[in-house]
Amino acid sequence: MKRNPFPIVVLFVVLAFLYLPIVMLTTNSFNLSRFGGTWEGFTLNWYRLLLQDQDVWIAFANSLLIATGATLASCLLGTTAALALHKWDSRLQNIHYGLIYTPLVIPEILMGISLLLTFTAVGMDCGLHTILLAHTTFCVSYVTMTVLARLQDFDDSLIEAARDLGANAWISFIKVQFPLLLPGIISGGLLAFTLSIDDFVITFFVAGPGSSTLPLKVYSMIKHSPRLPVINCLSTVMLLLTFVLVLASRAFQNIKQQKAT
Amino acid sequence: MKLSPLHIVLGLSAFVALTGCGPKKPTLHLYTWSDYLDPELVSVFEKANNCRIKVDTFDSNETMYAKMLAGSGRYDIIFPSSYQVSLMAQNGMLLPLDKSKLPNVAAHFADTYKSVILNPEMTYNVPYAITFTGIAYRKDKIGDTEISWASFDNPAFKGRSSLLNDFRETIGAALKSLGYSLNTTNTDELNKAGDVVIRWKKNIAKFDNEQYKTGIASGEFVLGQGYNGDIAQVMLEDSAKIGFAFPKEGFSAACDEMVIPKVAKQVNLAHAFINFMYDPDNAAKNIQYICTIMPNKEGIARLPEKYRNNPAIIPPAELLSKAEVLKDLGASNALYSKIWDTIKAAE
Repeated sequence: MKRNPFPIVVLFVVLAFLYLPIVMLTTNSFNLSRFGGTWEGFTLNWYRLLLQDQDVWIAFANSLLIATGATLASCLLGTTAALALHKWDSRLQNIHYGLIYTPLVIPEILMGISLLLTFTAVGMDCGLHTILLAHTTFCVSYVTMTVLARLQDFDDSLIEAARDLGANAWISFIKVQFPLLLPGIISGGLLAFTLSIDDFVITFFVAGPGSSTLPLKVYSMIKHSPRLPVINCLSTVMLLLTFVLVLASRAFQNIKQQKAT
Repeated sequence: MKLSPLHIVLGLSAFVALTGCGPKKPTLHLYTWSDYLDPELVSVFEKANNCRIKVDTFDSNETMYAKMLAGSGRYDIIFPSSYQVSLMAQNGMLLPLDKSKLPNVAAHFADTYKSVILNPEMTYNVPYAITFTGIAYRKDKIGDTEISWASFDNPAFKGRSSLLNDFRETIGAALKSLGYSLNTTNTDELNKAGDVVIRWKKNIAKFDNEQYKTGIASGEFVLGQGYNGDIAQVMLEDSAKIGFAFPKEGFSAACDEMVIPKVAKQVNLAHAFINFMYDPDNAAKNIQYICTIMPNKEGIARLPEKYRNNPAIIPPAELLSKAEVLKDLGASNALYSKIWDTIKAAE
């Protein structure tokens, strides 16, 4: 019997839509032509210009700072939230779960506007700190969900065994539960990091003077810059960074799964 | 012991303190367009005034305006276009400038450009860069034909020209070709202009804002409506073959200005920066960086020859009176977009 070619065709079409634009963008970052479109030869000149562009690097540093801060804060808050959700099954925790879950489904634009309104209402000047608060707000949910998923197949009898052997609650958490949860926390953290470093919509609203992040900078360059290929280079660099983080996140998840089996 | 909420609060606030707290030096916050200020001038100013400059960029006047309205834009100097300056001034968002702190502006402002500035009394604004819309063409492929808006009717250029994909600019060009103001709200004039663009549409290759530069550079197109700064950039790389014409029927001009918003924190430093940019040497340096003129008489005179003689950067004095500034038409913009829809739908 002849194999149905349809799934293969669909596979290639989907792959093309996902990755062809990325391939084109990466290729154009090495294109000698200023305007793209036609291939005029290989150059690293745009990367050189990118290296020299101070504003881009300041924006990049801002992005890194915010992503790191938001990741650390959301790992801490997210893990504790997941532990609470796992431990107690009360009505209060059901509400808690709902509150944590909401930011995952709420439209970003709504979150951005409401955060901005809150910040201005309390008289807070916008800047790096408001972006950090906003990013932590949405990252917490992602970390909580990831850690909670790990906790669901966590064997609670391990803790009981530790307590039987004389460990107090803190020791049994630090020595038993935490190391077993760590891959989940790290993969949640990496997810938070990629989300934070890529975020445009929410950041756009809550950014203030001197706090442009990389996505904001790129957006303003697209419409009004004589050096468009520099954006291609920058996007390529960001893509690489994101890919590395996603791969690392996957690797940590695999470690956990292997240990579980 | 467990991690208490106190630990979390302490950890978070330590981070906020680390990131939120600025250095001791005063910081001047600029809000401008991307790649619109020579970074070398920024470092010179920082050293001379013992301060730091932080530049944030916006992609459109509307984006910038929205941020200011929302209250998250405590910038010290903003670089909006003229029509936006009028709107911001009306809404009381701008600080009247202290002219005594701007001696360079008084000394070097080129009066010849007064006609293309929307707010020439300069209460709130100092012109930063003036752009014009004209026609880029290939000298080598066009012969001796005089280039004007009428050239878009010329069958010799059929399928080898482009018009901007911008309803104000493109309908504006048609209005000028008919001898009307490009800020008209007369429906009769607008309908006639719409018919002209529909006629042009049959002769041109496409409406386009970006790729036409490639088209002109590669010779695929011989004619293209475009912004002078963009074309000047292409000409500096490939100058022999590309020309830029300011159409004799008239053309549009737009000006980006420096303004100080009321919420600014560094008012003195902001004045110092505006004054610094009007220093002729600095003005000349910045014009070369952005390929767009600042109306600074001495600054223009100090430009290197290849910039001073570039017709795309500096329009001929006798044609300057033909330039008309694009104004914001508010509700009447709808008239233009209606005509634009008809043009886009026409076969």
